[in-house]
Amino acid sequence: MKLGLRLLQANIKDLIPIGVFFLVLAAVVLPVFGLVYYYNFSFTLNFSNYYFTIIFFTIFQSFASAFFSIVIGSVFALLLIRHRHHKTIKLIVNFLSILFVLPTILSVFGILTFYGQYFSIYGIIGILLGHTILNTPLITRIIFQSLNDISSNEYMLAKQMSLDKLGIFFAIEWPIIKKNIPSLFVIVFFICFVSFTPVLILGGSPKYSTLEVAIYYSVIFNNDFDAALNLLLIQLSICLFIYAAFFKNFKSSNFIIDEQRNFYENKKRGFSFYFEIIFIILISIFIFSPICFIILNGFNKELINIFSSSYLWHAINNTFVICFFSGTISVFVALNYLNLIYRKKYFTEILIYSLIIFSPVVMAVGYYILLFKISLFDIPNILIVIVLNAIFSLPFTYNFLAPSYFKVTHENEDISKSINMYGLQRFLIIDFPRLKVPIITAFSVSSILSASDLVIISFFGTNSLSTLTQTIYRLMGSYRMDEAYSVSLILLMFCICYFGASYVFMKGKLWNTH
Amino acid sequence: MQKISIILFFFIFLNSSFAQEKLVVGTYDSFSADWGPGPIIEEKFEEICNCDLQFISTSQAGTLNNEIFLNGKDVILGVEMHEFNYSIEDWHEYDHGFFSFIYDSSKLTNPPKTFEELVNREDLKIVVQDPRTSPVGIGLLRWMKSIFKDDFSIKLKQLDQNIITYSPGWSEAYGIFLEGNADLVLSYSTSPFYHQEYENEYKYKSLNFTEGHLATREIVYVREESMNQKLAKKFIDFIIEDEIQKIISSMNIMYPSVDKTELVPEKMKNLIKPKEIDYKVFLESEPLIETWLETIAG
Repeated sequence: MKLGLRLLQANIKDLIPIGVFFLVLAAVVLPVFGLVYYYNFSFTLNFSNYYFTIIFFTIFQSFASAFFSIVIGSVFALLLIRHRHHKTIKLIVNFLSILFVLPTILSVFGILTFYGQYFSIYGIIGILLGHTILNTPLITRIIFQSLNDISSNEYMLAKQMSLDKLGIFFAIEWPIIKKNIPSLFVIVFFICFVSFTPVLILGGSPKYSTLEVAIYYSVIFNNDFDAALNLLLIQLSICLFIYAAFFKNFKSSNFIIDEQRNFYENKKRGFSFYFEIIFIILISIFIFSPICFIILNGFNKELINIFSSSYLWHAINNTFVICFFSGTISVFVALNYLNLIYRKKYFTEILIYSLIIFSPVVMAVGYYILLFKISLFDIPNILIVIVLNAIFSLPFTYNFLAPSYFKVTHENEDISKSINMYGLQRFLIIDFPRLKVPIITAFSVSSILSASDLVIISFFGTNSLSTLTQTIYRLMGSYRMDEAYSVSLILLMFCICYFGASYVFMKGKLWNTH
Repeated sequence: MQKISIILFFFIFLNSSFAQEKLVVGTYDSFSADWGPGPIIEEKFEEICNCDLQFISTSQAGTLNNEIFLNGKDVILGVEMHEFNYSIEDWHEYDHGFFSFIYDSSKLTNPPKTFEELVNREDLKIVVQDPRTSPVGIGLLRWMKSIFKDDFSIKLKQLDQNIITYSPGWSEAYGIFLEGNADLVLSYSTSPFYHQEYENEYKYKSLNFTEGHLATREIVYVREESMNQKLAKKFIDFIIEDEIQKIISSMNIMYPSVDKTELVPEKMKNLIKPKEIDYKVFLESEPLIETWLETIAG
């Protein structure tokens, strides 16, 4: 009620952000509504012991995975930022985002091949190892970006105060990392909570499973949407409970440079240069194993033949279109949502983050019902694929943008007030130039995330509308493992080119408003 | 901005083009893929039917029977016999095969001869599919239940000692096996045919158990809701013609629906055709999965 009144009082300039907010809300609520409406949902708490066991296990493994990913990710980001001007480091940083979006199955194969030879990988260790390798790149990339936003003035100030590396860490870097941790923790926790392929393969036994597997089974094999929705509801409640219990006071919007921060000097000697380099190499080997796997396997005798096949070019074409448009939509929505959260404190991030928990299978089925059963709207499949991908990549787009957005907007607050410039004009002229890099990164990441999607495309794709990732799975499903590896290599190349092109485009004069 | 909207409209139009009488066949990915039997069948059928045959496929195993997938399809091709509703009138089996374990004969020199032996072996690393997410995984449970009857859960537990992982689908399991991470993979007895025919690789072989193997049959049927009954029935008759059966057999890596030797591809004839187990009454999947979960995870 209070919210409603406030909304009514909102200015005209808020219309777009608020409209976007309701679109996101509708995108989440409508398919669930469709399912409930179509399948006469009734809530039951009918649980076997098995479910209790896997819920507890899931909470445990998600916490542990998030913890390890964040520790390794932060250390790695710190090491990278110290050597950021080195060319190899720049390359590593750019590859991080690509790592995060590779088809999961290939990463899992990479992990099995590289680590499976040394010890029995299946079980809790496998799951933790897999989730850590899969999520560390995301953490590193986001923390790296936030650290990169620290202005050189601060470093200079620190130098003038003759702080050593440890001193700089506690005075400048740690506060930044600390403020990133809660939202990253939520993201990784949620990702691991609904993990499917990694948990099934690396877990090695149904003892180690997630509710997501049970949801998938109910939806796909049993046509039992009642059970699926109940499980989804449980999944949501647990995640929201954990969010409320631990993180509700944290927002990415807390991310404001604290002017009052205390500097203090520390006489201890920091890491030596070589020590840092060795660490960078070790962590790189650890998280880059999936890419090595693809490169090692991708160059095979099928690679040449594939270039002359028609399916490859169709798939590249479709992948590009889906990537580009869903990336654009995702960034647009995320920016508007950020704007809303920045100015109106009663809007919360949890709506965005909860998108991770909404099982893609359930959501896809929900949309399927809305579109084809209730025939709520009639739109071409490619649009559905684009829009759904844009929505599902929102949590990541949002997280890539949030730290820089809040920092830049906050710092520009006085300037914009003094020259009386607000709204879109302010964004384009004052904030945008400083946000170019994060926006392009967020755009690239959300685009490529859409390229790695398999669930939505398998529901709404047709034979003429298939993506590279889907082609990889199709090839694997027809014994064509070598071709699948080659297409994976091509997907990797595609991602690199896409990222490269985005950055070149951004650096072009067209975008230089200053 | 203008450019973007032009591109967008272009793609909308691309996807909403229509042609003459249309027959929509719902099937699974590997059948309709560029390298599967689908495109050839499409071409050959369109030559005689004066119609537009369209395959719409799903990559999620098991969705073929899902209500949400059936929508708008005239014919469904690829339903496994256990998941088929036999009250439907117009259907036909179009190929069959046998569940089996595949091994690399250059690495495994003493393959087990019986299921009993497999269960008791302690030196093998096996990868199978999770029955909750893969029809092949359910196949294993039915196969074991038919052989071991009341000892089903004891044998499950024993076999579990050798199973390194239960993968979400056939592709993942087979990939893990080909990567050399497992000695045995649950697949079909005809799998070696693919490697022989298309890769000239003869080292992959199928186990041959004296107890027998569970057969799996794939079915094509006309949906009662279809508005194109006549055309759809024509398609089913077409699918079981000898010429098409040959294509399906060699490209779908399965035996043709009827046991006519001349329809079986040359290299498939050389494979050992396993003995079929006695399997009269269909076993429901859910109780089997429950037992499996209780035994392995309970």
